[in-house]
Amino acid sequence: MTDITMPPPVDELAPEPPPSGPVVWARENLFSSWGNALQTFFFLFISWQILSWLLGKLVAEERNWDAVLTNSRTFFTFNYPLEQFARMWFSLGALIVAVGITLIAFGFEPRVRTSKIVQSTIGLGAAVAVIGVLTPVSGSWRLGLIAVGVAIGVVAWLAGRALPDGQTLPFWSLLVGFAVFVMVLVWIVPWGQNEFLDGEYIDEPGTVNITTKQPWTVMMGLLLGSFFGARALARVVPRRILQLAMIVWWVMGPAFLLFLVLRDPAFDWGYVLAVDIPIALAFGLGGGALLYWLTEPVRGEIARIVGALLLGTAALTWILAFFGVVSMLQKIRLSILFLALFALAAATFAGERSVRLRYAGIWMGFVALTHWLITGINTPSTLDIAAPPFIGGFALTLTIAYYVMLASFPIGALMALARTSTLPIFRILSTTYIEVVRGIPLITVLFFFSIMVPLFLPGEMELSELAAIFIGYTLFSGAYMAENIRGGLQSIRKGQFEAADALGLTTAQRTAFIVLPQALRVSIPNLVGQAIATFKETSLIAIVGGFDLLRVGNQTVASQPAFLGQSLTALFFVSFVYWVFAYSMSRASRSLEEKLGVGSR
Amino acid sequence: MSKVIDAGMSDELAAREDMIVCRGVKKWFGDFQALRGVDLTVKDREVMVVLGPSGSGKSTLIRCINRLEVHQEGDIIVDGVELSNDVRNIDKIRSEVGMVFQQFNLFPHLTVLDNVTLAPIWVRKRPKAEAEATAMQLLERVGIPEQAAKFPGQLSGGQQQRVAIARSLAMEPKIMLFDEPTSALDPEMISEVLDVMKGLAQSGMTMVCVTHEMGFAREVADRIVFMESGDVVEIGTPEHFFTNPTEDRTKLFLSQIL
Amino acid sequence: MATTHASQQRPPLWRDAGVLKWVVQIIVLVLVIGVFWFLSTVAADSLAAGGIEVDYDWLDGPANIQLSEGISTVPATMWEALRSAASNTLRVAIAGIFAATILGTVIGLARLSTNWVAQKAASVYIETLRNIPVLVLILLAAAILGSLPDLEGPEEGATDTRFWFDISKRGLALPRVFYADGFYQFLALMAVFSVGIVFARRQLQAKQDREGGDHKVGLKVAGITLVAAVIAWFANPVMGFLGSVFGGLSDAWGSIPRPAMQLVLSALAIGAAALFIKNFLDSRRTPAGLAKLTDDDYFRMIFAGVGALIACVMIWVVVPGLIGDLFVDGLRDLIQWFADKFGNGRGNRPIDAMRPTLSTGRFANYGPEGLTMTPFFAALFFGLVLYTASFIAEIVRGGVLAVPKGQTEAAAALGLSRMQSLRKVILPQAFRVIMPPLGNQYLNITKNTSLAIAVGMSDLVQIGQTIYNKNNQTLAVFGLFMAFYLTCSLTISFIVNNINRRLAIVER
Ligand SMILES: Nc1ncnc2c1ncn2[C@@H]1O[C@H](COP(=O)(O)OP(=O)(O)O)[C@@H](O)[C@H]1O
Ligand SMILES: [Mg+2]
Repeated sequence: MTDITMPPPVDELAPEPPPSGPVVWARENLFSSWGNALQTFFFLFISWQILSWLLGKLVAEERNWDAVLTNSRTFFTFNYPLEQFARMWFSLGALIVAVGITLIAFGFEPRVRTSKIVQSTIGLGAAVAVIGVLTPVSGSWRLGLIAVGVAIGVVAWLAGRALPDGQTLPFWSLLVGFAVFVMVLVWIVPWGQNEFLDGEYIDEPGTVNITTKQPWTVMMGLLLGSFFGARALARVVPRRILQLAMIVWWVMGPAFLLFLVLRDPAFDWGYVLAVDIPIALAFGLGGGALLYWLTEPVRGEIARIVGALLLGTAALTWILAFFGVVSMLQKIRLSILFLALFALAAATFAGERSVRLRYAGIWMGFVALTHWLITGINTPSTLDIAAPPFIGGFALTLTIAYYVMLASFPIGALMALARTSTLPIFRILSTTYIEVVRGIPLITVLFFFSIMVPLFLPGEMELSELAAIFIGYTLFSGAYMAENIRGGLQSIRKGQFEAADALGLTTAQRTAFIVLPQALRVSIPNLVGQAIATFKETSLIAIVGGFDLLRVGNQTVASQPAFLGQSLTALFFVSFVYWVFAYSMSRASRSLEEKLGVGSR
Repeated sequence: MSKVIDAGMSDELAAREDMIVCRGVKKWFGDFQALRGVDLTVKDREVMVVLGPSGSGKSTLIRCINRLEVHQEGDIIVDGVELSNDVRNIDKIRSEVGMVFQQFNLFPHLTVLDNVTLAPIWVRKRPKAEAEATAMQLLERVGIPEQAAKFPGQLSGGQQQRVAIARSLAMEPKIMLFDEPTSALDPEMISEVLDVMKGLAQSGMTMVCVTHEMGFAREVADRIVFMESGDVVEIGTPEHFFTNPTEDRTKLFLSQIL
Repeated sequence: MATTHASQQRPPLWRDAGVLKWVVQIIVLVLVIGVFWFLSTVAADSLAAGGIEVDYDWLDGPANIQLSEGISTVPATMWEALRSAASNTLRVAIAGIFAATILGTVIGLARLSTNWVAQKAASVYIETLRNIPVLVLILLAAAILGSLPDLEGPEEGATDTRFWFDISKRGLALPRVFYADGFYQFLALMAVFSVGIVFARRQLQAKQDREGGDHKVGLKVAGITLVAAVIAWFANPVMGFLGSVFGGLSDAWGSIPRPAMQLVLSALAIGAAALFIKNFLDSRRTPAGLAKLTDDDYFRMIFAGVGALIACVMIWVVVPGLIGDLFVDGLRDLIQWFADKFGNGRGNRPIDAMRPTLSTGRFANYGPEGLTMTPFFAALFFGLVLYTASFIAEIVRGGVLAVPKGQTEAAAALGLSRMQSLRKVILPQAFRVIMPPLGNQYLNITKNTSLAIAVGMSDLVQIGQTIYNKNNQTLAVFGLFMAFYLTCSLTISFIVNNINRRLAIVER
């Protein structure tokens, strides 16, 4: 080969960029044509009218915002007793720590462009100024608002000019900024001290109560501490283990907080030692040994037969109980059922010694957790609460939304698999279920379950109304979940199934190792969408009798003698809370989508 | 059903045991008949290449052999086990017959190593360490041990197809089926896959290959089968095929492809 | 050789993949039916223990229920109450669907606009409203309406409202546009005219195709239609004779003996099964004769047969009465209803309008002349519309963005004008993307009308609840809920699917 040396290419100068500036910008974006100008005036007029009307409603004389300030605790936890509130803070702290660790475990540390922050700050300043212009308040307030807005905007603009282009900030600086913001809110802003003391309404100037300041300071400390702590931890512990730990925590942890911290069961230790622990031990060890034996690869068919026998036994215990022949603890029946399912899956997950030990270990962990939770739930609470449920307000909203999503997931996955299966009867059954449920309104489902579940329950069984509603909501949500997962399933190419078959994987193995992992990844954006919808729809339990955020705002607060008729005020606040959460969830899901690269391709 | 021209095989080959026997295999898709009564015997350690125009039923035939498609009439006997509705036989044959697809069909969410060890661990119930050691040996054999930790999406087509071969070999199959393994590859990657297949043939694997690589067929095949519209038209050794094919249709096809 | 023994032997049943597959399915089916049976027995027992038997006899019983609005606010029977409530539900749903579609489309297009103000205003609207629960929006609307000033009526007698439109604590008043007596005759006459219009359109189109150029076919057809409508407006009494025709038909249908009806229905069921089996066998037939049937195929055919058998048992043994009531009496009544609509003495203007009025008294209110929305209705309506419009806006925007840019460029390259490219290229493709999720939103509006209970509007669910609180016929009432909402959702998906199919053809 001969070397040919080329002269280096000469850059031509790019043509001058077209002139820019506010006037040019306005001409191009607002008044480029007659139609455009018309649009500008039309939308300005409409926005002006609506905003000033709405702002007028917010600052109107009859609004008493003390109703919100005084009731902030009621809004978020309803009746939870004040002297036990440390538990609430403990739970919140645990959740915040988990959020910090989860962010690190899943590598969510996006860098933020400074230019974007500057832009948002300018936008904020502009919004404040516009609010100042539009709100029907006294002149000094108006001038003050406009001045503050303009000041924010100008400072941010100058800062933007001073900063070099394309600079980014690490994610932790946002977290710190958030913590500082919260600290300013609780330590400096003079909200006024409002509270009910022994039914007496107290309203004093100043910053918020010390009982609010202290815990929030601790919470922000926890947020930052957990984030940086987890960062250090991630250097020692492999990511995979952190991720697994956090998934297990998010599935189990909230239940732990709910039943063993917030509700605090009054254990009868004698009974626990004499009955509960022996049963758990028997199932854990006996079942573990059985499963260890069954997962030996040579067992094959035997595991299925044992599983089927156990399944029959479990069914029989219920049938016999219904006819009143045999009575036994419900958790024994449940444990037999679970053991049967584990035994049925044994052949699929059979393997070498370490695999078998792990399988038996998972069973024992499962038994320990379920028995612990069942015992906890079945034991009366030490909490003395004026009006049940022990948890209400926004905490109830979140709890229900969280558990409905979690519990409807297996239903949805199962139904989606059935609907895409090649077996016609499964397909017909699941299609009927999904389409019928999707055709009827949630509220009728909730009513139905709150009224009918007690009728459907045989004899001596009882269920709280909230639990009945929860079951109904879960079954309802399962149908929508199924459709979302089905979308993912259908995106998997036929070749994947064929390759798995050609390798000799069983249907269960194919589903567990090949199909579901891929399908779920594709469905994530839709599932987040459903999570947001579920969160919003929990407001419906206000109609069927739960004291959630909406009901507290619409009813509880508005019927307090001090704030009679303030339901519109409370509703404004309630919608703001819903909005903040739903909006941040949808923003987060959008960035998650970008990260996973789904949807963009 | 037209008459099959069978140009015979070497005596040595004829003396070996039957590995795959197809007798009067018929298969319909709806009312379209894709196989019209195929009779075929593949001997132990034989390499058989299946040729034929597109749509002639080559894929359908080898997919019937490991029951990705279910034939409706006739018998298929693989290593003495009859393919029927018997679940036990299906499992047995699936784990003894390896298959390599045109589109690779690697599992995109698993690493290369996990792709290869998945079936040995869960179907053959091998210990993980042992399965991984075997997998690394196989990856070495197909020439890409250094890619073990990557995901399929990060590999070239040729590398992916070699992983797919290693994945099938990990099950220690007695028979390997190849369905146009090089058709989806860029020309410069074809030889790397063919080399692996040649090595496999020399090691004594029973192979049925659908391929249009005539060089491979001439060099490696023990026998060549020509199919058209669901029928086997002509069977014979490569010499027979490339020097004096009997059937007009075979001649026409060869003249087009060579 | 190892293979000599092979033959077409069947494996033992418990290892036969074909049999196993169906055994598992049938077991699950039996289990599901069993669980339902078990639950319903338990429920029936608990109900019976409370002295309640599930039936629908109470539908004809007295109601003693007050509705917030509707066809009849003080209905005589439960059935009338439910019917009135269901019509309220449909009213909100239909009005909501129209309003939300218009508002949503405007906002969605505004968000796509090149105008900065329009874009931002639309974004703010969407991001705000769709992140607040619809129930909260409805309650907000109710609370805001409740905070409006009350009406002040005149001392005595009724007056017109100050404007054609009025809003207050008592709700919303608009002019009422309604079907007057001649409406059905008018429709019938238009149906007759439409034959001619279609014919004229064909002729005009054919002429344009022959001669080329733009003959403004659409415009001419619109003109002809307008003329026809004007003629029909005045000439509608001509169609009065249809009343007696329908009356005769109704009598004839009512005189069909019930066994004959049962016979026809069971013949239909058996015929459907037979047809299914025949088609199935045909699909398995090959030029070389019948293909070998798999076990699957046999099971399918057996299931079709069993289905027909069950249908016959239902018709003759289980619910013979219902068949008669539904198919003979029900259809007879339906035809009679048409007969009444065309009956004697009807005729005149098809459509009329009235201005809203105020009634007097200590509690001033809107009179019945105008189209008034009670505050409950208005709250529900605005909540639903504002919420759903934010979703529709996103759907519209997504649909337009889904049409690849290359399409616009290709249209421009062909020399189509902007309007032509929008009409012929972009919109048909965008509609195909928009239609399915839009149908979903319509379904959501319909289902969300059930939130009426939160603001005290008498929709189906609220009245149903009132009823079962009175008579404990919970199961029966929920059965009606299911039937109603499933019918609605089936109707909507039917319409949407139809439109979609049309659009697909337009596109081709
Ligand atoms: N799943 C199927 N459904 C219907 N027809 C099929 C299917 N698979 C293959 N065919 C038809 O069977 C014939 C043979 O296909 P194939 O075996 O893939 O041909 P080849 O591999 O020789 O190109 C083709 O005409 C093809 O259209
Ligand atoms: Mg092929």
